[in-house]
Amino acid sequence: MKIFFALLIIITIVFGGYHLTFRQFRLPLIARTFYLSGLEFILLGILLGPMFFNVLDGNSIRGLEPLMALLLGWVGMLFGFQFEISMLRRFPSIQFLAAIGEGLITLVLVFVGIYMTFGFFPEVPINMKVIYSIALAATAACTAQTGLALMASANQIVNRDSLNLICYISSIGGAGALVVYGFVFLFRPETSSSVSFLYRLGVEAGMTIIACFSLLLLYTLFLTKWRRSEELNLVIIGMAVLSSGMASMLNLSPLLLNFFMGFWLVNLSIEKERIFNLLISVEKPVYLMILVFLGAHFKFDSAWPLILASSYIVFRSLGKFSGWFLVLALRPDSKKHSPKLGLALIDQGGLPLAILLDLLLGFRGEFTKIVISVAIVGIVFNDIIGMYFQKRLFVINSDE
Amino acid sequence: MNSSYWRRENLTSYFFALIILVIVCFWLKSFHVESSWQHAGLLNLSVGALMLAAHIIARTLKTFRLPLISGYIFSGILAGPYVSGFLSFDMVQKMGLINDLALSFIGLAAGGSLHVELLKKRIRPITFNIVFQAIIIFTTVFLFVQYFGHLYSFTQAVTTVQLTALAIILGATAVARSPSSAIAVINECKAKGPLSETVLSVTVAIDVLIIILFTIAMTVVRFLFVQSVDSFHGPFFVLLIEIGLSVFAGIVVGKGISFFIEHIQDHLPLFLFFLAFGIARFSLAVSFIMEKYLGFSIYLEPLLICMSAGFVVQNFTPSGFFFKDSLKKIEIPIYVLFFSVTGSSLNIQALSVTWPLALSLVGIRIFGIFAGVGLAGILSGDLLKYTRIAWMCYITQAGVTIGLAQLAYRQFPEIALYISTVVLAIVLVNEIIGPIALKIALHLAGEADSE
Repeated sequence: MKIFFALLIIITIVFGGYHLTFRQFRLPLIARTFYLSGLEFILLGILLGPMFFNVLDGNSIRGLEPLMALLLGWVGMLFGFQFEISMLRRFPSIQFLAAIGEGLITLVLVFVGIYMTFGFFPEVPINMKVIYSIALAATAACTAQTGLALMASANQIVNRDSLNLICYISSIGGAGALVVYGFVFLFRPETSSSVSFLYRLGVEAGMTIIACFSLLLLYTLFLTKWRRSEELNLVIIGMAVLSSGMASMLNLSPLLLNFFMGFWLVNLSIEKERIFNLLISVEKPVYLMILVFLGAHFKFDSAWPLILASSYIVFRSLGKFSGWFLVLALRPDSKKHSPKLGLALIDQGGLPLAILLDLLLGFRGEFTKIVISVAIVGIVFNDIIGMYFQKRLFVINSDE
Repeated sequence: MNSSYWRRENLTSYFFALIILVIVCFWLKSFHVESSWQHAGLLNLSVGALMLAAHIIARTLKTFRLPLISGYIFSGILAGPYVSGFLSFDMVQKMGLINDLALSFIGLAAGGSLHVELLKKRIRPITFNIVFQAIIIFTTVFLFVQYFGHLYSFTQAVTTVQLTALAIILGATAVARSPSSAIAVINECKAKGPLSETVLSVTVAIDVLIIILFTIAMTVVRFLFVQSVDSFHGPFFVLLIEIGLSVFAGIVVGKGISFFIEHIQDHLPLFLFFLAFGIARFSLAVSFIMEKYLGFSIYLEPLLICMSAGFVVQNFTPSGFFFKDSLKKIEIPIYVLFFSVTGSSLNIQALSVTWPLALSLVGIRIFGIFAGVGLAGILSGDLLKYTRIAWMCYITQAGVTIGLAQLAYRQFPEIALYISTVVLAIVLVNEIIGPIALKIALHLAGEADSE
């Protein structure tokens, strides 16, 4: 009974919260910055979780895992839809490489930095350190797109070219991170000790290919003909549920598997626009639910994780600045863009949250909760200061 | 490109999709599931695969003019624990959640399909149908079991009192219908007209009436077994309160839905979906909490709440159009899941054990329906063409009947085995032939969309 009430409470909070946050509520500017970062949903999750009301206890959370897998699949598919090759080709290839490079630099710097910081935690096994470091690095490589996109459509904007460039980088950068994140599943504790890395790589790659291939075939067969919208909804929902289940069963990431599906659909399906409209129609509630679930797993019972959180924020900022310099170095019109615009890449957005939930479900454990709590602190911090910097850098009279 | 070519092309792609689905599912089922994450994956995989396979099979069977829900049910039977075993008993039980949710959702749709003006016009045939069907179906089934029950090997060993009790319970369950199946087939055929309106109203009304009828039946059977019953008034008083409160709750929910549509409207289909889920769970919780803390319980009937809510939104608020439009957007996935899960829980074994008695009862029940509908048609002055075919519209039986049988199963252990086995077998047959008969009737009446 409890699990259903937990679900009902979450749904009520999410839909009510969505309406208040994005549709109607007007708060003072400073409060709105916190509000739009999604902090309130994490706090609600913490309140519902085992630390306070215990509505979302261990059993309820386990019971809601199928829903969480579906949410991850949904986000993955949506993210894959950003990679329409014909759209990407409109920009010079050097820009694409620069965007990927920016993400990878951040990824490498954060990976090294976090892995070194894990030296303070000798109780964590080495393979888990690698897993956590890769996952945190992947979240760090992402840049928020929504705030930037909203800003780009506003009127009173300075540095519009730079804003467009940063929007482009933010939409591309996460892809490399997500693919690299997929590698954490090679270091699973259950398999890593008994067989060689290459063997594991082969098995994981083989299973991913079979899963992807069968799903792609199914999508192709279902979508070769025009479908009425009710039928299309059924096929997309059914396929999202199926592929999320398949990923969980094979110990793969639902996020990544569905990212590939989204990429395929946006490039080869005749129904891409209708599918995208369906996926985007519930995007915000999906993210808000992810925030509540992450909040319920929040665990910060000592000051030690603060070291990790600080390390995460510092190395990520370093990575983003270095990445921005790489972008400028690769572009012929680098003088048009100010070096300090790297600050606009600080905002992290929703994809890292999905990666964290994916990590949490794939690698259950008390330390995983600490790791995701560290990342949540970093993401909220970066979102708040990132939005502030974006306004300072791009909006005319942002103080008003 | 002509339509038969298009259909063939579609069927070919569906055929290959089904083959791939089956291969993938059986490949994944061969994996050893350890963690809770993998268990969650298995549930998602099963739900997703069932949804898609049911859709494919139903679309394929539709080319043979079978209703979609027959395809969904058939897919469920195939995937269920009695045939392929793709869905285990445990998995089917876990999916029971879908039933709660879908029944409430279907209640909203049913209420939204009733138009007060048309009901006023058809009040005579509706009333006559309800009264005569209830009386005649109950009587024919009761008399048949009472006088011929001993002739069947399955019920040869029961005592006379037990046989009478069984006859009363089977007579009462025979009156029950499946509003969900009726609504699904009427929606699928886009049927409009006097017959479909009457069928919908009668089916929904009988769904309320059956609760009263079944309570009477249970009280009488209890009297038969223990020779004493505290009071006949008590249960009926509680029942009336339950029905009144459910209708009142439905009116409040209906006004709430209208307020949401007028002032918010964001994600309306999802709002309705979760509202239905919430109502189903809320009813259970109220009953549970009252039982625990007050020592007695009042069960608010979720289906009745949702039907009243849908009826209020459709007829007494300006939001009817948005309401129906939103329901339509998500009804197919819900129907697919609900009916395929229903199919997977149908007990094939029960039919194999009791088929002579079950088939006889199906036939007797149809005769009762025919007589009841015929009498109602003649007395209300309905057109002969409707009177002749209307009996085909009332055959379906599903969840409500099984639910009633389970109630009786728990109350009367003396005849529990007979009740559950026979009722499950009857429901299996009625749920297969009922939707097909309804679709044929709607076509014969000229009320179904010719497409």
